[in-house]
Amino acid sequence: MTHPKHPDHSHHHDHDHDHDHDHHPNESDHEPLSEDRYLEQALRELLNEKGIITAAQIAQQIDVQDSRTPALGAKVVAKAWTDPAFKKALLAKPLETINKTFDLSINTPLELVVLENTPDLHHLVVCTLCSCYPRMLLGIPPAWYKSTEYRSRVVVEPRVVLEEFGTKISSSTEIRVADSTADVRYLVLPLRPTGTEHLTEAQLEKLVTRDAMIGTAIPDFKNF
Amino acid sequence: MSDHHADTPKPNFRVGDQVVVKLGPPEAHCRTPTYIRGISGEVVELIGQYHNPSLLAFHKPGLPKAWLYRVRFKQSSIWDQYKGSDLDSVMADLYEHWLTPSKEQ
Amino acid sequence: MQRKVNDVGGLQSAPIDHEEHDPTFYEKRIDAMLMLLTSPKVHAFSVDALRRAIEENTADDYTKRGYYEKWLKAIRQLLIEQGVLSETEIIERIEAIKKRGS
Repeated sequence: MTHPKHPDHSHHHDHDHDHDHDHHPNESDHEPLSEDRYLEQALRELLNEKGIITAAQIAQQIDVQDSRTPALGAKVVAKAWTDPAFKKALLAKPLETINKTFDLSINTPLELVVLENTPDLHHLVVCTLCSCYPRMLLGIPPAWYKSTEYRSRVVVEPRVVLEEFGTKISSSTEIRVADSTADVRYLVLPLRPTGTEHLTEAQLEKLVTRDAMIGTAIPDFKNF
Repeated sequence: MSDHHADTPKPNFRVGDQVVVKLGPPEAHCRTPTYIRGISGEVVELIGQYHNPSLLAFHKPGLPKAWLYRVRFKQSSIWDQYKGSDLDSVMADLYEHWLTPSKEQ
Repeated sequence: MQRKVNDVGGLQSAPIDHEEHDPTFYEKRIDAMLMLLTSPKVHAFSVDALRRAIEENTADDYTKRGYYEKWLKAIRQLLIEQGVLSETEIIERIEAIKKRGS
């Protein structure tokens, strides 16, 4: 296991916590403990009764969050691939450009930064400290992105992790991992695949997966 | 990005500066990961001024605002036996009080 | 160097579970509750406080408890910290819900 170089690092061993491997954090989210269900209901009821958060507000917020999906990110990417003026504005002022172009009102104190891939540079996004993710654009992150395993490994062995995702990057291409440690959220602008010059923007959208905008996948036209 | 107050300190670092991440001490709520502490990197962006998350975490206003930087580190600087390409790097967004100028500029 | 439970960069080499499921309605409600509580309008507490509360888990709890389970526990803690709700009224409400059977 590679060790960090800082002077008084601790040698942390891979298998020192012998937790139950049958347990999946994901599974407990499928079927929460009944105590948690009661707690969720109790909090929701009390907050509603006190007018702090009403049932209507919860419903509306769910709708808003449901409307943020990778399809939205894919639209942004496809447009950046086909419209150089949009791409330039997008890279300079991402959220403002997205709101204006797609008639949205994404309103957040956070900053969105678009990381443009080139043939020499491949970006990969993580939040090692928690699960920061460009939710305002892509929606809820996948469970693996939030997992300790991804957060732990992608900073030290990105190429191994990428291969597990079925993605191989040439060793002459820099892999640059962006760790979202503060108020910036990162969206990867993947490389447009070769051979797609004849495709429309709508067709290009279909090539852009959520994972390509995180950086764990590359948009692919051959297998499309 | 940042609202300027008359007494807002200027940023200590500029894009291109070589910096070293301090070893500590970590705040009770800390946003500087251990794996880059003590590591030398390059400032690639002056992101702006933000309320201090270590104070916000305890319901305090988070003032004074702190300058936030995007710093890039070569993987080979961080890990003893990094197995990827020598080109590879990691970027993290770090607050000014966690950075010191590197002696090698 | 002693690490906080969440400070995991570079530690593990365990396989990543790629399984996914669409969020359940329950998960969406918790997510919505959190977004609204941390919104500028309500501002019951900050997202930073949420992170801090989650970091206060033991290593064991951090690893074993589910993602939304940790959020719910943190929300409960912070609402009490901030005096939005009292521990007593939460406990009493849970008991009432159990008694009424729904």
